[in-house]
This record gives sequence, structure tokens and C-alpha cells, in this order.
Amino acid sequence: MAVTERDERAETEERPRPSRPTRGRVAATVSVLGELLITAGLVMALFVAYSLWWTNVLADRQAGRESNELRDQWAEQEEGDGAGEDRAPADFDPKDGIGFLHVPAMSDDDVLVLPGTDPEKLNGGIAGYYEKPKKSAMPWDESGNFTLAAHRDGHGAKFHNIHKIDEGDPVVFETKDTWYVYTVYAKLPETSKYNVGVLADVPEGSGKTEEGRYLTLTTCTPMFSSAYRYIVWAELERTEPVDEERTPPEELRAG
Amino acid sequence: MYGWIWRHLPGNALVRALISLVLVLAAVFVLFQYVFPWAEPLLPFGDVTVDDN
Repeated sequence: MAVTERDERAETEERPRPSRPTRGRVAATVSVLGELLITAGLVMALFVAYSLWWTNVLADRQAGRESNELRDQWAEQEEGDGAGEDRAPADFDPKDGIGFLHVPAMSDDDVLVLPGTDPEKLNGGIAGYYEKPKKSAMPWDESGNFTLAAHRDGHGAKFHNIHKIDEGDPVVFETKDTWYVYTVYAKLPETSKYNVGVLADVPEGSGKTEEGRYLTLTTCTPMFSSAYRYIVWAELERTEPVDEERTPPEELRAG
Repeated sequence: MYGWIWRHLPGNALVRALISLVLVLAAVFVLFQYVFPWAEPLLPFGDVTVDDN
């Protein structure tokens, strides 16, 4: 009797079993899938945080350090003029920084300018001057186009507010000895990324027809994407020698 | 998946919670340090230059 009873109980307990493993398997698969989707969502949210916040932290830290190195080096060269001359080329490690870009309409901060527009360079929170497809002229050249690129978002986002620049706004480039004061004369809010004409000595599409001392800023647009490029052109207004206190030109003092 | 991990962690609830926290932080670190820097250039968000190719 007892045996049958136990068997019966075992049977009744066992009865739901046959369907259970399949339902359990389906449920488990669905729940794993759900958890994977939630995880994917979290990873994407983290990627946004990485792109728009963390890369800025890293880039600003690096650019700040390099800017200080360059300014220190300038100060050193200023002090030990004669001796500094000899030492300068060998020491010139602040990654060949040529100076600082000031655009009051865009930001109160200055932007370190280094050679090259490769992503690894620009990711350091700086503006790079073009080496390819067309080599940039230098501000001190007789004529030509000083062409710069920087990030719109992330990695320092140095040209984030490029859309706030208007015609007539000053753009100042600071080197060790000279302030180069430019005035914005044209902009191109949206153009193809293949439009290399904007980098020409006489920038195509800016309305200029004669050689001159121009400056071109390029970045991506619309914000948070790289679909098009945003271009701003400026023309050299005048130059000012840097005095001992490095007093900025009036265009920078106003803001 | 997360339930499975939770069940296989040693210790009581508090210890498991702490280990979970460490695992989450480790995952975030790996993402920020290795995965995102690798993935970023593959995504079309950061091209700022004009180029002919």
C-alpha cells in the first residue's frame, strides 16, 4: 500500500515536469535576451557619456599640460635669450606647438595649435593645421591660407561653438612674439567633406579672388555627427608685437 | 544571466553585492579604457577635416 501511495504521489509530482523544461527554457532564453538588450542599452548610454564627457576630460587635461609646457618654454627662451637660441631646437618638444588660437565669439579659452589633423592629434584637445590634403600656410607667410581643424564634440570640443562666430568677429592667433589679428569675412555653414577647395590659398567659395593672408577653420556639422563640414574664413587685419606682459590686443580685451 | 551570476557568487547577500559592484566597475573600466577608444574611430561622429578620399 505504502509503496503504491508513494508511487502515486511521485507520479502526481512528476506530472507537470514534462512541460516544465520547455517552458523553463523559453522563459530563460527570453530573460537572457531581455537582459542582453538592457545591457546593450546601458553600454550605449555609457558610450554617449564617454564621447561627450570623458574624452573632454582627457583631452582638456592633455591640452592644458601641453599648453603650459609651450608657455613655459616661451618664457624660458625669453629669459635666457642668447643661450636659449641654441637650446631651443633640441628642446622643442612641446609637440611643435606653434601658438594659440583665440576666438572670443566661440570661447573664452585659447586653443593650442599643433601640426597635423590626424584623429590621434586632434583627440588631444587641440586645433591642428592641415598637412594634407593641402599643406597649410603659416600666419607669418607672405600670403596663403592658414587652415585649422578641431573637434566639434568630444575630445575637448574646441570648435563646439563655431556656429556663434559671425562675420566681422575677430580671430586672434598668438605666437611667441606676435599677435595675428584676423577678421571673419565669410562662413559656409554646411559643405561636403570632400570640398577641399576651402583650403586653397585663395579659399574657394569664400568670395575672395586675390591672394592674401587668410585663415580657415573647419569642423564637422551638424553637432554630434560628421555628415557635413562647417567652414569659417577670416582675413589678416594687422599684426601686433607681443609685449613683456603679453598684453592681448584690444579685440581680446573687450570680451 | 544576471541571476545566474548572482547565484554563483560566493558569500552572503552583502558580499555578493560588493562583488557585483566591483564587477560592474571593472566592466565600465574595460569599456572606457579599451572598447570605446577602439570603437570610436569606426563610428562616423568625429571626422572634422575636409579630405579628398
